[in-house]
Amino acid sequence: MTSSKTILYPPLHRRLYSVWFRHMRVYTKNLLSNGFPPFLEPLIFLAGVGLGLGKYITEPMGGVSYIEFLGAGLLCTTAMFTAAFECSFGTFIRLEFEKVYDGMLAAPMTVNDLIVGEMLWVGSKGFFFSFAVLCILAAFKIVALPYGLLAPFVGFLTGVMFGALSLLVTSFVKTINHFNFYFTGFISPMFFFSGVVFPVENLPAFVRPVAEVVPLTHSVRLVRAVCTNHYSAILLLDLLYIAAFIVVFGFFAIRRLRKRLVN
Amino acid sequence: MATTVITVSNINKSFGKVRAVCDLSFSVESGSCFGFLGPNGAGKTTAMKIIYGKCTRDQDGQSRMNIFGYDPATNELAIKYLSGVVQQEDNLDDELNVIQNLMIYSRFYNMPAGTAKERIEYLLDFLELSEKADSKIKELSGGMKRRLVIARALLNSPRLLILDEPTTGLDPQVRHLIWEKIRQLQRQQTTVLLTTHYMEEAFQLCDRLLIMHKGRNIMEGRPHDLLEENMEKYVLEVRDAEPGPKIRAEMIPAGVRMDDALEIVRYYCDQIDVLKEMAASALKAGNYLIRQTNLEDVFLKATGRGLNDKQ
Repeated sequence: MTSSKTILYPPLHRRLYSVWFRHMRVYTKNLLSNGFPPFLEPLIFLAGVGLGLGKYITEPMGGVSYIEFLGAGLLCTTAMFTAAFECSFGTFIRLEFEKVYDGMLAAPMTVNDLIVGEMLWVGSKGFFFSFAVLCILAAFKIVALPYGLLAPFVGFLTGVMFGALSLLVTSFVKTINHFNFYFTGFISPMFFFSGVVFPVENLPAFVRPVAEVVPLTHSVRLVRAVCTNHYSAILLLDLLYIAAFIVVFGFFAIRRLRKRLVN
Repeated sequence: MATTVITVSNINKSFGKVRAVCDLSFSVESGSCFGFLGPNGAGKTTAMKIIYGKCTRDQDGQSRMNIFGYDPATNELAIKYLSGVVQQEDNLDDELNVIQNLMIYSRFYNMPAGTAKERIEYLLDFLELSEKADSKIKELSGGMKRRLVIARALLNSPRLLILDEPTTGLDPQVRHLIWEKIRQLQRQQTTVLLTTHYMEEAFQLCDRLLIMHKGRNIMEGRPHDLLEENMEKYVLEVRDAEPGPKIRAEMIPAGVRMDDALEIVRYYCDQIDVLKEMAASALKAGNYLIRQTNLEDVFLKATGRGLNDKQ
């Protein structure tokens, strides 16, 4: 037998970073086509509201003008959508079609490193997408600086949260078409009923508890506090919800994906 | 005396009711090339995956594994760090070019950027890919992709190189180039594990061979010994469907073994003259072939000619 002197494989933070770096490198490879739409999308949205819909909504909503109300919500939804797409279609393609993970797992990293690294990456993507919306909002003076600068951090949390959820969904999916159910049945409704386009307080009483259970509501409440610089103790519960959601869904996502990655 | 660097004893692996690997044991010496030969579905790839942690062996308490001092069940990171793996699929990042693909992987091994660049330059030259350094993956031929995957596996100067069917689907030139490179690596004391179903590849490269069938080790040894111990030296092949004279059963001399396959009847014997006489007395010239036996004959004798449901 050879003497087993300790092998200096990369430490945890380097392994997570290398996974993060891989995704970042592939994403920034097409910088223009990947980096431009996050700025364009809020512009189109706000133009539609500012030029058209906004004229019919004259009452302030949640204490601010409608365009400010909706703009703050977009800071979260953009992070939600990018994370949900990346960790559903993106993850599935890497897993089943490109077999990218098989190659990565032959390098010194564990399934945990791979999944946690990916969650950190979609968090960063959420941060960037929120930041893009923030730039547009700030340019049109729809959000007040410097408070608004904290919004991308909410985008990060939102990204990690929807990354964990989407990874868990992906672990159940056998064909890529199944994701249609997830987007039409879960992600899209959340956009409308989590306090983004109108306050959850206006929902019928029997639907309110549902809005409190789904994740986006909590991100939206945090980001509104950030944008108005108006904080209350209930936000701690929202933060706690997000932290618990990430841990629980992340745990089960790793557990289930491990069975697909390591047989 | 070469030291033993891999010891595997009594490992099993079941997928549901199917036993992919069944009570497999083997050991590999430092700097040697150890080959797994077997039909599709024999359990070769699974055995490899168990070694580098892509598969977990059944926990039955009987099995033992020691890969350079580590057990994959408890120390997968150490084994992955000192190994390079070439999997069956060319799982390269299509979005990135050749150099970028390698740079990404150099990070997985925590190589400083400067060291990585030098190493990549050396490996691209070693595998004759230098001209393609800035090419997109889609522009590469099958043989280039395979060589790039091999370069990727060599990034961290592995002590153990795991090759899962490295030359399947490649043309003879590329195949011979890859064989040459594997031999060079072996001379530099790299231990090589290889799966293949090309007999020639096994014969060319492997110091020891293990023939697997239905998850079991059915034969093991040096390729030359396997041939000598299990096979007569020569074979006379006669196409059964051909019209004309035939060898009748009572004409077969002692010491000749007959194997009646679907279309071809083979007569095995250690003396070439016996076979020549048989052929001359009963067959028309051109209707038969006398040749030396090879590993393929051993393989087919050991694993049978019928197809299993995974082939």
